[in-house]
Amino acid sequence: MTRWKPVLVWLLGVWMVVVCWAAFFYAPTAQGFKGESARIVFFHVPQAWVAVVAFCVNLVASIRYLRGRDPVDDIRAAAAAALGLLFSVLATISGSIFAKIMWGSFWNWDPREVSIAILLLVYAAYFALRQAVPDEERRGTLSAAYAVLAFVTMPFLVFVVPRIYWSLHPDTLINTSGRIDMESRMLQVLLGSVAGFTGLFAWLYSLSVRLARADLRRRQQEGG
Amino acid sequence: MLAEALAVLAKELRSELRSRVALNAILLFALTTLVAVAYQIGPYRIHEEDRPHLLAALLWIILFFAATSGLARVFVKEEDAHTAKTLRLAARAGAVFAGKFAFNVVLLGTLEIVVVPLFCVLLGYRVAGPSNLVLLLAAGTVALAAVATMVAAIISRASGSGTLFAVLTVPLALPLLVMLIQGTRAAAGSAELAAVLPALRGIVSLAGVTLVSSVFLFPVVWHD
Amino acid sequence: MTFEEIGKRFGNRSVLAGVSGQLRPGVVLVVTGPNGAGKSTLLNILSGLIPPSRGVVSYQDGGSELPRERWFSVLGVVAPDMAMYEELSALENLRLFTRLRGLPSSDASLASLLSELGLAPREHHRPVAMYSSGMKQRVKLAQAIVHAPPVLLLDEPSSNLDAAGHELVAALLARQRASTAIAVATNDPREIAWGDEEIELAG
Repeated sequence: MTRWKPVLVWLLGVWMVVVCWAAFFYAPTAQGFKGESARIVFFHVPQAWVAVVAFCVNLVASIRYLRGRDPVDDIRAAAAAALGLLFSVLATISGSIFAKIMWGSFWNWDPREVSIAILLLVYAAYFALRQAVPDEERRGTLSAAYAVLAFVTMPFLVFVVPRIYWSLHPDTLINTSGRIDMESRMLQVLLGSVAGFTGLFAWLYSLSVRLARADLRRRQQEGG
Repeated sequence: MLAEALAVLAKELRSELRSRVALNAILLFALTTLVAVAYQIGPYRIHEEDRPHLLAALLWIILFFAATSGLARVFVKEEDAHTAKTLRLAARAGAVFAGKFAFNVVLLGTLEIVVVPLFCVLLGYRVAGPSNLVLLLAAGTVALAAVATMVAAIISRASGSGTLFAVLTVPLALPLLVMLIQGTRAAAGSAELAAVLPALRGIVSLAGVTLVSSVFLFPVVWHD
Repeated sequence: MTFEEIGKRFGNRSVLAGVSGQLRPGVVLVVTGPNGAGKSTLLNILSGLIPPSRGVVSYQDGGSELPRERWFSVLGVVAPDMAMYEELSALENLRLFTRLRGLPSSDASLASLLSELGLAPREHHRPVAMYSSGMKQRVKLAQAIVHAPPVLLLDEPSSNLDAAGHELVAALLARQRASTAIAVATNDPREIAWGDEEIELAG
């Protein structure tokens, strides 16, 4: 597997370039959106998607850490959370840009906007907590507990609250009947972009974990 | 175990009644904010159509931030006074959580009994469905106390600072607050139970989910 | 209760390495060593407050293994870094600690225990915050033995006590010795003298 890694990484790079090109030249202009602004969906949606994926990876690693206290699981949780933070920031920014173009203001209190912003707050809180605990084992335990608690309260924001409120979010993707309404070329680029961003996350995540594990080994050897 | 939890609750109540630190803190915060807001806004300065939204939101902002100034004390003071170790050695984790959670419910409930009527009077908040509101307040108290007690346990093992408590609680409490504000608006507008039912359902399930996760998470956090 | 090959490290610092031993009724184990050698850490590990980095601590109750959640019911602990509830009186503190273990108690029996440990009856109802450090130490000792635990872990039990107090603790130990497994962590030579077995931790 390690022999294939450099090949996969190069492939990922090429794929992302293709996706970027396709986002601007291959996909047609969407109806009902101002100018070319709909193209941002090819970047915004995957970023939000990755932020959620990172959350799930963090959850799994946190639960494993709580059961086994393996420091590697704590490393995994932290790495996933860091990337989650990055991508939620990106998703919030790209969402705001789109909102500005479409509706004239950067923030509109649309429930989905708020959800991604709250995810961002959760990540920020997660790191604030980690900063406040000097002991490694306890840091892992406390942040894992917070991650699980956050995960448990998330569904309320994402699923329950929007049912109580209306939404500004374009319903071009998934509407009430559950059908996918996008034009096929746009859909292709979107799915391609999602795949690409997920690959990007996987690559950055594995790099981050490897680095942290090497650091852990070095510190364990020094401690003797 | 019920007896043990009651013993913890009794201890908390006794301690609090003797020192009144938390109670004073949250009442003072709430009353100061309320008076400051009421003085500026009063019953007449908000347009009739904005009132339901604004007043519901204001009420919960005051209650929430007053709560964050006092609900963490239940664990932080144990760590500060070095009685945490004694308690850890003498009691079952479940009893500790149950007792302290119950105490926070009582604290929050006391806050509401004082603040809500005052709020309605000072700001001219006419509530069409008072029984609905009471139901909502009860559910909200349980849910908010559940989240706050679990987070308080986490931060008491970290640096225990009030800022950290607020930072960690806000992302988790936001969905709850949204549901509470929505529910309060509904209760103010109608005496029908059906009006507050969606919000009520959401709040009760959030409370349930938080309490169930705390059963698993609290012992981990408490026992290090 | 047995502990085998206990090791503990905090970050890069190794505080304990390969400590083993046994606690049984009738034998007082004394843990000695210079400051920072890890005496308190060892006792913390034995009481279940800290997990060891290596090794196993096990509590046997007549042949069956006691899970960690139940240790609190068989343990009595005294340590310098644990405090009583200052807003409560000594009597209220003891009442709390017996109720937490689901044991019945009468104020009379609690009061007589406090008196035995040298606390005058008029002090029983005053908040602990008003006690001297010696009196607070006596309350700590009381909460450790009020539920008649089979295992006693004492970290510097007669600190803050005058000569009379020290005699008291010695007498207490003598009385409990036969039915209780006792461990004492200390630097005080008088306390070391109580021990039948000794574990010495290097600094």
